[in-house]
Amino acid sequence: MAKTIMVVDDSISIRQVVGIALKQAGYDVFEASDGKDALAKLTGQKVNLIISDVNMPNMDGISFVRELKTRPAYKFTPVLMLTTESQEDKKEQGKAAGARAWMVKPFKPEALLAAVQKLTMA
Amino acid sequence: MRQRPLHFYYPLFMALAAACAIVPLAGWQWHGWLIGAVLLAAGGAAAVFAPAAGAAVASSDDYLVSRRHFGEQVATVWASHIDASRTQMETAVVALVGRFSSIVMKLEQALAASGAARSHEGGSIVEVSAASEKELRSLLDMLAGAAASKQQMLHKIEGLQEITVQLQKMAADVASIAWQTNLLALNAAIEAARAGEAGRGFAVVATEVRMLSNRSADIGKQIAQQVGQISAAIGATSQAAGESSREENRAAQASEAVIGKVLSSFRGITDALVQSSDLLQRESSGIQAEVSDALMQLQFQDRVSQILAHVQQNIARLPSYLDEHAQRSGAALLPLDPSGLLAELESTYAMAEERTLHGHSALAQPQPQQHQQAEELTFF
Repeated sequence: MAKTIMVVDDSISIRQVVGIALKQAGYDVFEASDGKDALAKLTGQKVNLIISDVNMPNMDGISFVRELKTRPAYKFTPVLMLTTESQEDKKEQGKAAGARAWMVKPFKPEALLAAVQKLTMA
Repeated sequence: MRQRPLHFYYPLFMALAAACAIVPLAGWQWHGWLIGAVLLAAGGAAAVFAPAAGAAVASSDDYLVSRRHFGEQVATVWASHIDASRTQMETAVVALVGRFSSIVMKLEQALAASGAARSHEGGSIVEVSAASEKELRSLLDMLAGAAASKQQMLHKIEGLQEITVQLQKMAADVASIAWQTNLLALNAAIEAARAGEAGRGFAVVATEVRMLSNRSADIGKQIAQQVGQISAAIGATSQAAGESSREENRAAQASEAVIGKVLSSFRGITDALVQSSDLLQRESSGIQAEVSDALMQLQFQDRVSQILAHVQQNIARLPSYLDEHAQRSGAALLPLDPSGLLAELESTYAMAEERTLHGHSALAQPQPQQHQQAEELTFF
């Protein structure tokens, strides 16, 4: 059965690009435009991985992960931060919030898939 | 000529009033007149120079107001253009990625179809072709086996012909023995007649023997007739079987030729299919690399959009920044320092190259290759 991945990014083109790469590899993908939208869409269904941007309107990626980890259903769902942000302090914030990995955009699809495979192995 | 406001003459009026008060108080003495004169001179001077100073204050106010208006109007237009550019770029790139996605999907379908044509549940198309050929060959072998079996049967039927010849001969022998027996019986009857009364009993026997020989001759004829009929039937059967066998041989040869032709055509098609499929599969790895590269390139829109958004926010902030500066400096017209606004811009940066450009704005140009660096991945 295909694994499900949620992609959270305010950029439609990035959501599309990530979607193409993941769907090509056989994953089921659904999207959200920011942290708030993502929390509204996560209603208890099984998600194997969440890929989230950091800088987003309404609710940024760090706050989203922090909020996500308070929900029992998603407490152990791995989160990959996919962002243009490469500052160490931001990474530390992501780690503290509960993210499992940090990838800086632009990304190569095969590198993203390798990271996704590693994070979804359970 | 611009008319001077009345308040500019207030110092002169006040000096005149003071002089008018001082002179009587001084008792119309000379020093009273002197003080009055000095006051009038001072008032006059104040009336003359005060407008200049007032004008300077008024012009700085006008300048600050105009500067704020300038900032508001220009910044608004700049921000609108940047926003429109971002929107247009996003729309175009989203459409581009959408089409690209569609192309990638169709390519995948083509590859999947090609792969399915090469192999199915029974194995690859080459294996299926070889198996079909083998099965058809065994069918031809079966046909050849049946033909050989018929040939053997034909030989056996032809063997029956020889038996009927022997039977014919045996029937002829029976007829010959019957004829000789008849002659013998006839001689015996003659001899019995010659013997007279004594030969009467012998004559009866001779008659019976003749009758038997006649019956034997009849039966011999009948046997010969029957054998003749059997022989004719066997001959006809043998001829028909031979004809049938030859016909079957021709059919088997024709079948083999047709099957060979069909197999050859089929092999040609499968070979072409396998070749085109191999080519497609080989090309697909190259295409996959191109797709991967294109997916990376298409992320430029997100980066450019972020940079423009940061600049747009900073431009939108310019009027209020100028206003704050005007309030701080008042009439003193302090120098306008860009560092505060630039610090605000820097605080919004998300990308390394934004920070690099900011630090070396006079030297650095955007480096395209920087955008193509391998992604940085950190596991926590």
